Amino acid sequence: MSQEFDSEQSLIESFVRRLAAKYDRRYWLQCAKTGQPLDALWRELGKAGFLGAMAPEQYGGSGVSLTRLAILMEQLGNHGIPPLLLVVSVMGAVAIAKHGTEEQKRRYLPPLADGSERFCFAITEPDAGSNSFRIRSLARRDGDHYVLNGQKVFISGVDQSEHMLVVARTIAADSASDKREGMSLFIVDTNAPGLTAHRMDTQILMPEGQFQLFFDEVKIPRANLVGEEGKALRAMFDALNPERITAAAMGVGIGRYALSKAVEYARTRKVFNTPIGAHQGLAHPMAIAKTELEMASLMTHRAAEVFDAGGDAGMYANMAKYAAGETAAKTVDLAIQVHGGSGFMGETDVITLWPLARLMRTAPISREMILNYIGEHVLGLPRSY
Amino acid sequence: MKILVPVKRVPDPATTIRVLPDGSGIATDNVKWVINPFDEIAIEEALRIKEKQGGEVVLVAVGQQTWQEQLRTGLAMGADRAILVRSEAALDTLAIARLLAKIAEEQKPDIIILGKQAIDDDSNQVGQMLAEMLGWPQATFASKVEFQDRKCTVVREVDGGLETVAFDLPAIVTTDLRLNEPRYASLPGIMKARKKELKEIPADSLGVDLTPKLKIKKLDPPPKRQAGRKVASVEELVQVLHNEAKVI
Ligand SMILES: Cc1cc2nc3c(=O)[nH]c(=O)nc-3n(C[C@H](O)[C@H](O)[C@H](O)COP(=O)(O)OP(=O)(O)OC[C@H]3O[C@@H](n4cnc5c(N)ncnc54)[C@H](O)[C@@H]3O)c2cc1C
Repeated sequence: MSQEFDSEQSLIESFVRRLAAKYDRRYWLQCAKTGQPLDALWRELGKAGFLGAMAPEQYGGSGVSLTRLAILMEQLGNHGIPPLLLVVSVMGAVAIAKHGTEEQKRRYLPPLADGSERFCFAITEPDAGSNSFRIRSLARRDGDHYVLNGQKVFISGVDQSEHMLVVARTIAADSASDKREGMSLFIVDTNAPGLTAHRMDTQILMPEGQFQLFFDEVKIPRANLVGEEGKALRAMFDALNPERITAAAMGVGIGRYALSKAVEYARTRKVFNTPIGAHQGLAHPMAIAKTELEMASLMTHRAAEVFDAGGDAGMYANMAKYAAGETAAKTVDLAIQVHGGSGFMGETDVITLWPLARLMRTAPISREMILNYIGEHVLGLPRSY
Repeated sequence: MKILVPVKRVPDPATTIRVLPDGSGIATDNVKWVINPFDEIAIEEALRIKEKQGGEVVLVAVGQQTWQEQLRTGLAMGADRAILVRSEAALDTLAIARLLAKIAEEQKPDIIILGKQAIDDDSNQVGQMLAEMLGWPQATFASKVEFQDRKCTVVREVDGGLETVAFDLPAIVTTDLRLNEPRYASLPGIMKARKKELKEIPADSLGVDLTPKLKIKKLDPPPKRQAGRKVASVEELVQVLHNEAKVI
């Protein structure tokens, strides 16, 4: 990897180290426990230009670089303060920057970049998670508007966002000749009349909650259609890779944070006459975790670089997400094991990491669907579904 | 205004420092390195002065190649260029001050702003030595710095109060904690930093006597904290504080 990259990475590292001295894990936990947004942290990220990492400079951004954003996300994770909203908001930023109209770019990118307005992302429906083509939310044309009806589930951070990038059908699935036809992308304000949001009972300690959404005759101006009507697939897939890559970065970060806690504990805790870290039964799994975390990190950077260079990042993005998801979950499990019974106490703050780390195997895309992708698109195997 | 800011690389204040078993230094594996926090305040002050009246902010460090990292961080905060005086050996404060005096003679800054001390060795000497060598006025422990033409007014934090001093430029100012809150390096700043000039000069090319006058003989870690003890009642607590700890 180039020296330039190393030097920027270390600068982003020192930025986050300073930021995390002020907005530390206690701050993050406080927000997580009370369901409050990471407002102050978000403002600093905006002020320092990091939220504009996916927006061109003429729209208030810092020039498009997923690599820098991924490094930022990873570093925030390293300190135990990852904002999930960064993963979902990248979808809005990429879709608008790459496929939005001039007017949309001017309206939405500057506030997104300075942190004054946030984006969540809504695709999942009760009957369409892994199989997104089965979504039923339907937007019908009505003069200069679309009218949207439908339901979404598991949508993160709705209460913390001003806008939402919504995937909906403009041709119902059963009338489309090809299931890929008729998928469209819309920008919807989270306070739009007819849209109601109910907090779901997801049991994950993090500042962003999940919401079930009902769209009841929600009017969307035609100007809020992103990309071509019915042909959103391209725009969606363009935005899905960055989502996977930032999610991978988050997984690596959470894993590193958990491992650092495990190492610290193993260095000091004595059960027989040496610190427990001297026992290979714990030292080797920790060494393996470290190795796997660094492998996942390299894969994540590679994926981001390919995306930035305009290449097809699909293979790397999926592999990075797989590697990071697996190692995040395994490492937190290990950190709990290293802590013995204390691992289950709130005060050691390791069991608290488990649901979030474990989520990395399920969302934004499950490990099975990633492996399906690699089987089919990388290895050329036939598909089962 | 041309402002020179000397920068030191120190262990992150948040790292747990471990002294080597033979007391010759600290264990440096797993240590994160940062800009000395007082120097960061100095950089911030320099940037604010530049933003108000224009000019140039030049960083200078005396150290090894790894110190580039801290200089780049300062450049990412907004400094214009940096000089790394390369020395593989660790130097004492006097040698550092001599090297900085040389750099100052060459760069001719209007003001040199330094941290009042480095948080690793807490020497609190370089600024004062530098003022003596250059024959410039100095204001240490600054909590406020203001200018009027070539005059500078500094509010100093002294024991139990504040002192206001005024002097002509060129001059030396050393920063105290309350002077300002340093900015973060922004992403655009980080992107620009790598294109900025970072010049290296070998320390032994400056014709300065670098022989150490001071030798660190031994480092001792602070005594291990004793385990606490639970008492049953307020009465017992008062008893113990009075009879055993003898603090009341
Ligand atoms: C905390 C959290 C936050 C979320 N945030 C968002 C958000 O902000 N926006 C959003 O749109 N969505 C969000 N989601 C939804 C998430 O993306 C989905 O839950 C995920 O994609 C899985 O879909 P599903 O829940 O419908 O599971 P299903 O699709 O029902 O899958 C169930 C199981 O079957 C497996 N499976 C399905 N098909 C196959 C196959 N062909 N081969 C092998 N295995 C298969 C899956 O891997 C999974 O293990 C979030 C979910 C959670 C839990």
